[in-house]
Amino acid sequence: MAARSSRALWRLSGWGWSQALLCPRLCWGSARLLSTDKPGVATHFGFETVSEEEKGDKVYQVFESVAKKYDVMNDSMSLGIHRIWKDLLLEKMHPFPGTKLLDVAGGTGDIAFRFINYVKAQNQRQRQREVKSRQNLSWDEISKWYQNGQGPSEESHVVVCDINKEMLKVGKQKAKTLGHKKGLAWVVGDAEELPFDDDKFDIYTIAFGIRNVTHIDRALQEAYRVLKPGGRFLCLEFSQVNNPLISRLYDLYSFQVIPVMGEVIAGDWKSYQYLVESIRRFPPQEEFKEMIEDAGFQKVTYESLTTEFTWPATTSHWILAA
Amino acid sequence: MATLSGLSRLTRLRPRPRFGTPRPASDSAALPGGRSMGLLYPDHIPTSPLQKMLLAAGAACMALYDPYRHDMVAVLGETTGHQALQALRDRMRRDPEGAQILQERPRIQLSTLNLNKLRTLPEGSFGREYVHFLDVNRVSPDTRAPTRFVDDEELAYVIQRYREVHDLLHTLLGMPTTILGEIVVKWFEAIQTGLPMCALGAAFGPLRLSAKKLKVLVSDLIPWAVQNGQNSRCVLNLYYEQRWEQPIRALREELGITPPPTVHTGLTKSLKL
Repeated sequence: MAARSSRALWRLSGWGWSQALLCPRLCWGSARLLSTDKPGVATHFGFETVSEEEKGDKVYQVFESVAKKYDVMNDSMSLGIHRIWKDLLLEKMHPFPGTKLLDVAGGTGDIAFRFINYVKAQNQRQRQREVKSRQNLSWDEISKWYQNGQGPSEESHVVVCDINKEMLKVGKQKAKTLGHKKGLAWVVGDAEELPFDDDKFDIYTIAFGIRNVTHIDRALQEAYRVLKPGGRFLCLEFSQVNNPLISRLYDLYSFQVIPVMGEVIAGDWKSYQYLVESIRRFPPQEEFKEMIEDAGFQKVTYESLTTEFTWPATTSHWILAA
Repeated sequence: MATLSGLSRLTRLRPRPRFGTPRPASDSAALPGGRSMGLLYPDHIPTSPLQKMLLAAGAACMALYDPYRHDMVAVLGETTGHQALQALRDRMRRDPEGAQILQERPRIQLSTLNLNKLRTLPEGSFGREYVHFLDVNRVSPDTRAPTRFVDDEELAYVIQRYREVHDLLHTLLGMPTTILGEIVVKWFEAIQTGLPMCALGAAFGPLRLSAKKLKVLVSDLIPWAVQNGQNSRCVLNLYYEQRWEQPIRALREELGITPPPTVHTGLTKSLKL
């Protein structure tokens, strides 16, 4: 299959708020490195130093603890802005009916539900167009059209994969509440070793999850493996802030306010301390871009999703740096 | 820019190491985010003055919004109680029994208490009444969260001791764990300890009560609690662990606690005197 000629855009935040990555996978094979788990190798858990085995467990405990209040905390910490970022990710993704999406670390289902709604809306628009184009139909033709019309929307499918069962539980509950039944699957799996065959998905997304993975390079290689040739990898993640003044304010907010919010709202200081520290530990934009290219992806780019508020009038406008 | 430097002062962590206190080995490198203070005790979370202010405000709001968040009441106590705790600690040092407590650091936990042994004590003894209180109200001595936000290791013990003594106060005052009973104990504690959290709890607790209970509270219970709080000895200065066999009446006399006013409304599960 020929590589998709569409341009890949990798969005990243110069402001440190979030970054979305998008890069197509070309059809030549990727060399998969053998995973050698060296015992006793140290890695970072926020600002702490822990062994690689410990990190996985500790991260699991963090998300097990925060799962029930995850959505509430996201809204509080980002003042609801995370919803806009996720909406933007969907717009960049621009899935069409029939797309197979794999959402990794997608626990509570934010991306998956947006995907379903997006595809549903597209289907509806398509049907409306069809209806407009056929005004004089016989009853036979109408009934046949209704029978066929059910088909296309079934083909789109999203698999939500997460290593943490508590997060998936919360996601499943949300799906029930929102009434999403078809086209959705929930799978427990490790991003470093996905339980899927090669070349299965059109799009792979990971929103605010990749910084919690112990071996980011392995996760990227797995992403490359499970994507079809020409498939796209999209990543939404916090990154480094370049502006020094904004950086100070950002640090102030992250370290002074967010753990306090975590304690008051979720009763958990340490998990939110870890979360803000893990953002600081994530590699900067260019380094991450190289890591993605090492995994075999082509046309990797990034884009800022920057928010700027001008006080006292709170007007927000988006700055996208190509 | 002046505000920004002022802000940086508020966000710096100021350790208060005590001379001779062992500092546990931990990550004490100067890191962004201000973790430049070593941990003073196992559950310690060092916090800057700004964080303490935000925590106190947030905890107060959350405790009012959701009264079942007892952890928020505890956090409020820890973040606002520094001066009161210092005064309490000094009072304990001046009293011989209190000084012994500070030295030996006894804890009231299931692991250190022998409840079955206390059950075998004679009726009317302090230990027997305490176990009776625990059984009737279905509480356990282990429901107290550990101290986290106090930046002094001795004061952390003082507040922990205060929390663990709370159930004993219920026993001594004869108050059940109903809302009315808790408010009465809070008034007593507010007078005794001077902790802002007790004062806030005492002031805001009654807001959720019905008019009938409020009347009983204001006319009988609060004056009694205040009087006893002012007259009695500092309750943290008693080595309760050595007094289980003491008859509760004698203990109350020693402290200067008078019998509670007899009220028939709202006090279910009240203890016999």
